[in-house]
Amino acid sequence: MLKVAIIGCGKIADDHATQIQRIANCEIVGVCDREPLMARQLFERFPVKKYYSDVAQLLTDARPDVAHITTPPQGHFELAHLCLENGCHVYVEKPFTLNLKEAEELVGLAEAKGLKLAVGHDHQFTHVARRMRTLVQNGYLGGPPVHMECLYCYDLSDPAYARALLGDKQHWVRKLPGKLLQNIISHGIARLAEHLITEAPQVVACGFTSPLLKSLGETDIVDELRVIISEQEQTTAYFTFSSQMRPAVSQFRIFGPKNGLLLDQDHEVLLRLSGKRLKSYAEKFLPPIGAASQLLGNLTTNVRTFLANDFHFKAGMRHLIESFYQSIRKGTPVPIPYREILRTARIMDDIFEQLYAE
Amino acid sequence: MSEPSRAECRMCAAPPHAFIVPPDAPVLVTGATGFVGPAVVASLLRHGHRNIRTLARPSSALARFDAIVRSHPHGANVEVVRGNLLSPDDCTAATRDIAVIYHLAMKGDKSYPDAYMNTVVTTRNLLDACLRDGTLRRFVNVSSFAVYSNTGKTQRRLLDESSPVERQSHRRGEAYCFAKQKQDEIVAEYGRDHGVPYVIVRPGSVFGPGKHAITGRVGIDSFGIYLHLGGSNRIPFTYLDNCADAIVLAGLTAGVDGEVFNVVDDDLPTSRQFLRLYKRNVRPFPSIYVPHAISYTLCYLWEKYSAWSQGQLPPAFNRSRWHAEWKKTRYSNCKAKARLGWTPRVPMPEALDRYFQACRNRQHA
Repeated sequence: MLKVAIIGCGKIADDHATQIQRIANCEIVGVCDREPLMARQLFERFPVKKYYSDVAQLLTDARPDVAHITTPPQGHFELAHLCLENGCHVYVEKPFTLNLKEAEELVGLAEAKGLKLAVGHDHQFTHVARRMRTLVQNGYLGGPPVHMECLYCYDLSDPAYARALLGDKQHWVRKLPGKLLQNIISHGIARLAEHLITEAPQVVACGFTSPLLKSLGETDIVDELRVIISEQEQTTAYFTFSSQMRPAVSQFRIFGPKNGLLLDQDHEVLLRLSGKRLKSYAEKFLPPIGAASQLLGNLTTNVRTFLANDFHFKAGMRHLIESFYQSIRKGTPVPIPYREILRTARIMDDIFEQLYAE
Repeated sequence: MSEPSRAECRMCAAPPHAFIVPPDAPVLVTGATGFVGPAVVASLLRHGHRNIRTLARPSSALARFDAIVRSHPHGANVEVVRGNLLSPDDCTAATRDIAVIYHLAMKGDKSYPDAYMNTVVTTRNLLDACLRDGTLRRFVNVSSFAVYSNTGKTQRRLLDESSPVERQSHRRGEAYCFAKQKQDEIVAEYGRDHGVPYVIVRPGSVFGPGKHAITGRVGIDSFGIYLHLGGSNRIPFTYLDNCADAIVLAGLTAGVDGEVFNVVDDDLPTSRQFLRLYKRNVRPFPSIYVPHAISYTLCYLWEKYSAWSQGQLPPAFNRSRWHAEWKKTRYSNCKAKARLGWTPRVPMPEALDRYFQACRNRQHA
């Protein structure tokens, strides 16, 4: 039985507790928040053994095998460091740390201690993302990626998040080095980082505050971001983050020398983009039939997954946590290689350095 | 808005009750920029209170609040403290020298942690600040009917202040219910353990200008068409101004410490009557009536599937919610009338007229 602890009892901790419950042979031995009431509310709603307001006490008393760090990002490094020092494997919510330096230090410490780390890039483990990964690994692209595009949108009209952030000049998100972007874009950047090879790709970033936010008197928050990433004059990538674009999509496109793939995260749809060209009017008629057929196939897959009771909104998180636990139990590789974690951190550092250089 | 004369004010015409503080005692209203808060400030002013402090978030708009203050030309001292109840320092600043606190601030968050933090943690901060200050005479916690379980009773049974509250509130699938129940608990805990004098007010469905959505007790439109679930149930409405009067009296009336007061108006319409009037007076729209037996069965099936599937469908519909919102129930306001001397100042037909007029104005805006 794997003993699990959750540190930080805010909104995302609910998702962690829910998914951990669905995984066999593990138990939540403790939850911790420096606000005791927050720890208590999680304890009252989930099968949790005990709640704490002091991390050191949690670690010595409950002695967890794995700690999930679900606090705001400012606390990730210090808490993860403490957990590793106390012999815990650590799952850190995204963004992994505030910068590359902290990420490198945590990875170094984990390796030195023989412990494992995971970062909460669970979007890479949804059903559709896993189907895409399988195709890429099986060579569907026909070689290394030539180009990738990641569109990642966030609707700031969502009152739950936006009102709190925009209305509060002291909000913790504003105090991050990359502000709003740091808390949101790592899912999208990590998708690109998975398919890059070099450790330090070239990054060119351009960002601005949208006219909508400006009209609300907001000048600090960058909510429109465009990034070009390239490595060794081989693979290139575009990353777009937008709070204003509609539809507010979450899409990823990857093109190889032979074929491409389009992943639509919102609708859990994966389309194969064939590199073959047909002759004459066949090019106009047959591909749409193929696309319709693929969409129908995606629908069938989604319905089948739902009927199999495996289509939860946080299915990706469950798979990631389960894979991480598996790697701890069996000594297999971690679900997200450390070089990807570090590459994501480096790209984000580069972006924020360019945006907030002044 | 003109101030009613004593003869016109039915509330003032109610049997006299002694008040615990004089009209110049400093009073704090949290949530004064929300839906009910401005009406509470207006009611306080109408009661002659002239020393009112409010706590508002830095981002809160003060338009409605300012309009109310401006409409009372008696030189009221209404102070707005900008701050956040999550900050103990802001709570200390807001509660300094305060005699009565009307705690209405809340955020309708859908997530449990957010709802809890913005309801329970904030309330605890406010109570701690009161303990530090030591001038408090009454803490009025504005709760909700949502905390009542309404189970274990036969149909048509009365729901009053003695009715049981939800013990497993997190199972209803509504973060609001959970947070409000825990908020009541912590207020009672501070009353018991620290001697904080408190009163809990539980309004039914507060309606009036400024809140245009039809209460879920009538029906829901989650599935593309409006499902009318209330049928012949009486809806526990309380008009904004009437509710505000009851809240104010709960903070002022002597001899009610530790009590709970439900607030519903007289002459409650049935769900069917309300829906018919709404369609006639605001806008017509198609709706389907779902009989109680069917809505109960659907809630039961949804609850079972949600549990079996480990939340593939969230437990938004369940028997607990059905009992709380759609079970046929009678309501009483006898305690508030008898102990607070409260009477709904705006009769139900007039309240409905005002509400429908506001809804029409909004549509045409």
